[in-house]
Amino acid sequence: MVKYESGAGRLLEIAAEKSALLIWAGIFSICSAIFLQVPYLAVYFILAELLRNMAQPEMADKIVMLHWGMIAMLSLIGGIIAMYLGGLCSHIAAFHILYKLRLRLTEHIGRLSLGYLTQTSIGIVRKTLEQNVEKIEKFIAHQLPDIISVMGAMLVMLAAMFYLHPWLTVVCLIPLFLCLALQLGMMLNQQAKQRVRAYYDALEQINASTVQYIRGMAAVKVFGQTVHSFRQLYHDIIRYRDLSVRYSDQFQNGFSMFKVVLGSILTFVLPGGIYLLSRDPGNIDLVLVLLFFLIMAPGLAVPIYKLMHFAGAFRDITEGVARIDSILQEKPLPQVEISSLPQSFDVEFDEVTFSYNGYGAEGSLPVLNNVSFKALPGRITALVGPSGSGKSTAANLIPRFWDVDRGAVKIGGIDIRNIQSKDLMNTVSFVFQDTFLFYDTLYANIAAGRPSATREEVYAAARAAQCHGFIERLPQGYDTVIGEGGTYLSGGEEQRVAVARAILKNAPILVLDEATAFADAENEYKLQLALKALMCDKTVIVIAHRLASIKEADNILVFQRGTIVEEGTHLELIEGNGLYTAMWTAYTNTDAWKLGTVAGKGNR
Amino acid sequence: MKLYNITIGEPKKIFKPALYGVLSNIINVLPFALAIEAVRLIFSSFAQPGITLDLARLWLVCGSMVLTIFVMFGGEVLAYRAAYRGAYLLAATGRVKLAEHLRKLPLGAIISRDSGGLSNMMMGDFALIEHSLSHLVPQLIGALVLPLLAFLLLLFLDWRMAVTMFAALPVVILLTMLTAKLQLRLGGGHMKAKISAINRLQEYLNGIRVIKAHNLTGERFIKLEEAFRNLMTASIKFESLVVPAVMAAIVCIRAGLPLMVFIGVHLLLGGELSIVAFVTFLLIGTRIFDPLTTVLINFAELSYNEQAGRRIVELYTEPIMRGLEVPPNKYDITLEQVTFQYGDSFVLANVSLQIPEGSLTAFVGPSGGGKSTVFKLIARFYDPQQGRVLLGGKDIKTIEPELLLEKISVVFQDVYLFQDTIGNNIRMGRQSATQQEVEEAAQRACCHTFIMQLPQGYNTPVGEGGCTLSGGEKQRISIARAILKDAPVVLLDEATAALDPENEQDIQKAINELIHGRTVIVIAHKLKTVSTADQIVVLADGQVVEQGQHRELLAGKGLYSQLWDLQQTMQGWRISS
Repeated sequence: MVKYESGAGRLLEIAAEKSALLIWAGIFSICSAIFLQVPYLAVYFILAELLRNMAQPEMADKIVMLHWGMIAMLSLIGGIIAMYLGGLCSHIAAFHILYKLRLRLTEHIGRLSLGYLTQTSIGIVRKTLEQNVEKIEKFIAHQLPDIISVMGAMLVMLAAMFYLHPWLTVVCLIPLFLCLALQLGMMLNQQAKQRVRAYYDALEQINASTVQYIRGMAAVKVFGQTVHSFRQLYHDIIRYRDLSVRYSDQFQNGFSMFKVVLGSILTFVLPGGIYLLSRDPGNIDLVLVLLFFLIMAPGLAVPIYKLMHFAGAFRDITEGVARIDSILQEKPLPQVEISSLPQSFDVEFDEVTFSYNGYGAEGSLPVLNNVSFKALPGRITALVGPSGSGKSTAANLIPRFWDVDRGAVKIGGIDIRNIQSKDLMNTVSFVFQDTFLFYDTLYANIAAGRPSATREEVYAAARAAQCHGFIERLPQGYDTVIGEGGTYLSGGEEQRVAVARAILKNAPILVLDEATAFADAENEYKLQLALKALMCDKTVIVIAHRLASIKEADNILVFQRGTIVEEGTHLELIEGNGLYTAMWTAYTNTDAWKLGTVAGKGNR
Repeated sequence: MKLYNITIGEPKKIFKPALYGVLSNIINVLPFALAIEAVRLIFSSFAQPGITLDLARLWLVCGSMVLTIFVMFGGEVLAYRAAYRGAYLLAATGRVKLAEHLRKLPLGAIISRDSGGLSNMMMGDFALIEHSLSHLVPQLIGALVLPLLAFLLLLFLDWRMAVTMFAALPVVILLTMLTAKLQLRLGGGHMKAKISAINRLQEYLNGIRVIKAHNLTGERFIKLEEAFRNLMTASIKFESLVVPAVMAAIVCIRAGLPLMVFIGVHLLLGGELSIVAFVTFLLIGTRIFDPLTTVLINFAELSYNEQAGRRIVELYTEPIMRGLEVPPNKYDITLEQVTFQYGDSFVLANVSLQIPEGSLTAFVGPSGGGKSTVFKLIARFYDPQQGRVLLGGKDIKTIEPELLLEKISVVFQDVYLFQDTIGNNIRMGRQSATQQEVEEAAQRACCHTFIMQLPQGYNTPVGEGGCTLSGGEKQRISIARAILKDAPVVLLDEATAALDPENEQDIQKAINELIHGRTVIVIAHKLKTVSTADQIVVLADGQVVEQGQHRELLAGKGLYSQLWDLQQTMQGWRISS
């Protein structure tokens, strides 16, 4: 497992990816901060000139004063330009880093076992990629250059002050240290840390329930639930609000005190200066020094302010980064260095035991227990059984969406864990029950099966899958965009597009979830034709729900509670008079169903 | 920029935080004002050789400064509470209001928006509003009042210098308006790039199985990569174009100080301005522009956030479904020349139908023929563009939408279960139901047995961290809901029965329980299932092409009899090599 540093170290590590740009950003920012101090200095020099000539104002040197006015103007413009350039460098760096980070996260998620992504974790992952990643932008684009520049400017200023009058400088530093102490106190407070965590958890919760609320809108409407009885969302909104209020109350006194002390630097400097003056009234040099401090000292508050904002945001950012890293630390399915390519395409389960443990379900029994079977090329192997018997799980192990706990899944005698993921995926095609089409053109959706395919090959696949006809009838044909305000297809049409994708892919092994439950009569017929085209000469594994459809399969495996209890052809199994026979009888009864009656059993 | 938008329609709520913001800003300037007084005292003592430093008054000034610390603390605490609490309360109320409003919108209005945008509104946009109200607005108002006050006071000291101080302000205002426009234009593009990235990400996460199966993970899923890249470019463009305008405005504001030097020196040497007055102006000039810079930066951020507020306010104003009357006690349903279209394409064209109370009516026909649209119009998920839907002779548009839905049970293919216990999910049907009634409904829907086998029975949580149910089990729970609801009209999708073929018999039983003695409207796929219906309506291309009972339709030799023959010959399809 990759281990990441936490906190500041980790943030700098992320920032270091664009270090050249960020160094430039830092240089520009420091220049800008120093330039922007110059106008204050100019005022000081002008006041000094005036003070020296207080008795005879007309003697004051006009040229010197105008000169300082000019310098103030130019350094103002220079300072702002440098600020812009610095900001530009840091933003470009930040957005590049964000882009890379997002890609890395999605890439990583793609290598994880399928169990990682569930309905709630999708919400959390989405939030991490959306909001937490953006916090890094704040750090890199704003806070990092800011901190560098204000610290630089503060050091220059303190050096000048110390040079002029060490004692008064010390007086200036008192409120600053007070503020730092206050800040540190707030930061290290254990209770505060807990509240931050609680606040984040509430935020995650409210995110998840918002997604649920919007997705479940149809159900909410149908049952006419008021928003208040829609307990979860309302409850979460209120909980989030209360936690936010508590979170802000936590810092109320500390933060207010901090602001007051920081705004009162002059309250420390002036008495100090007056005390010095009282012992030596009429010392014009001392008055000038005091004047310098009075003009410059309030500027010391700015860096501290920024530090404070930074510290507040830092908590927020490190928490966000920790959440990003928790995704990156999820262990991907291990990949072999050198891929073994199967030469034949029989699929074998060798004493496979598997449970979804570790991904939620606690202490549950294995979903598959010591399952062994072999599916041969050119043959149809059907998996049947009651729901929850493990037949779908078995099919999902073939493309290695999960790794087995014990035993092995083999293709052509090679353990699939020794085949690199891309080679394995090229060997196996799937047609799932829940079809998923991309928000893209129909053409692209089919071509996803084999991106290198020519246009003709794509059309051929569509024809074989019986979807060429309806696609051609759409106003934009193959260029029709599916979903999100585009065209919506019926369930049966979507399935045929998915089949076309699989036909185009033309992999030697086909795993097929008997995917016709949604189809209507016309679609069903066409889908049959499509599947026929897909299956020839392949190792076909069918997860069957309706027994009639697999009556002619070469081998039927009957699953019950994670084991294979019967195996054979339809006729053999019927003769065996076991579970399969019972299922077959039930099936033939349901097939004769008419609304309002239960065929075979009469009216209830 | 509108205050109305940024306060999501409650501009009065900003009054208190703004007032306290102004108050604390004025208090906070006290130490600086006292320091200026001290400098004036010191400068005066150098005006003529004879005068000595007035130490007594200077110490008095110092003493007053120490006192200000306590006043400042009081002001800060008040401002802090007003700002944060106000913002969080307003956002929470707004979120609840939005959720409530979403519920009352026609379903069509929600489906036409993408769910990524809606969730972003609920969370992200409100977060921006919170930040605006707790930080930006109070700071902005406070920072505006301060220079204004200073200007008015300084006018009395020397009006020429006071005017010089803010001479560049008109340019600043012009620049700010320009920036706001630029921001509006670029901000839209930026938001679009952002939403597109969110949607692609959602697609990637939802479709991960297919994406993995086709070797399209991570960077190879080009559209996601493109969306991320577009977001990056849009963000950079936004920053690099909007910021210069803000920067220029900052230069203009701060140029007041050098300008005062130029004019002040001139006036001073002409004998028209006293040194003490000049010194006062210059000292104020070192600090007066900071709050104005804050104003600018906050303003830029605010006008970006205002768009978030506008999106919310716009959604608030989207018309909800009206209708106040109580539903009648008769449950026959009539469609009168109903026309409905999505966008440009007609889904139903001039459909008229009679569905008698207590009858079983089946809709059949090719997919896309309009079957499910009829359902959605009867349940009033949409209103038809032309024609009327009548329940018991009453136009359903005049009936209160929630009361209407109390009379209708809907069993669709996609069952949505809430993250709650199984018992509460069934209780969705009727909140007031007792545990016994819930269990009775579950029994009749054939789900009592499997529920009792779950570790915590009816208290077992559904979904994440709880039990996972098969499609058929979910379906039976939705039927139990409907049975519990006990509505006189039932809309049913027959394909639901096929969701869990292993347990099909149980679902069939459950459906029979549900439809007994009610006005039932069914979307049918297997014609055999509905061959006993009182009325079969064949829909194709948005029109009723045939209508009647099974025998009549078969005799008609039309579309129905074709479909029937097709299904009869297929007898369930077979997989064979």
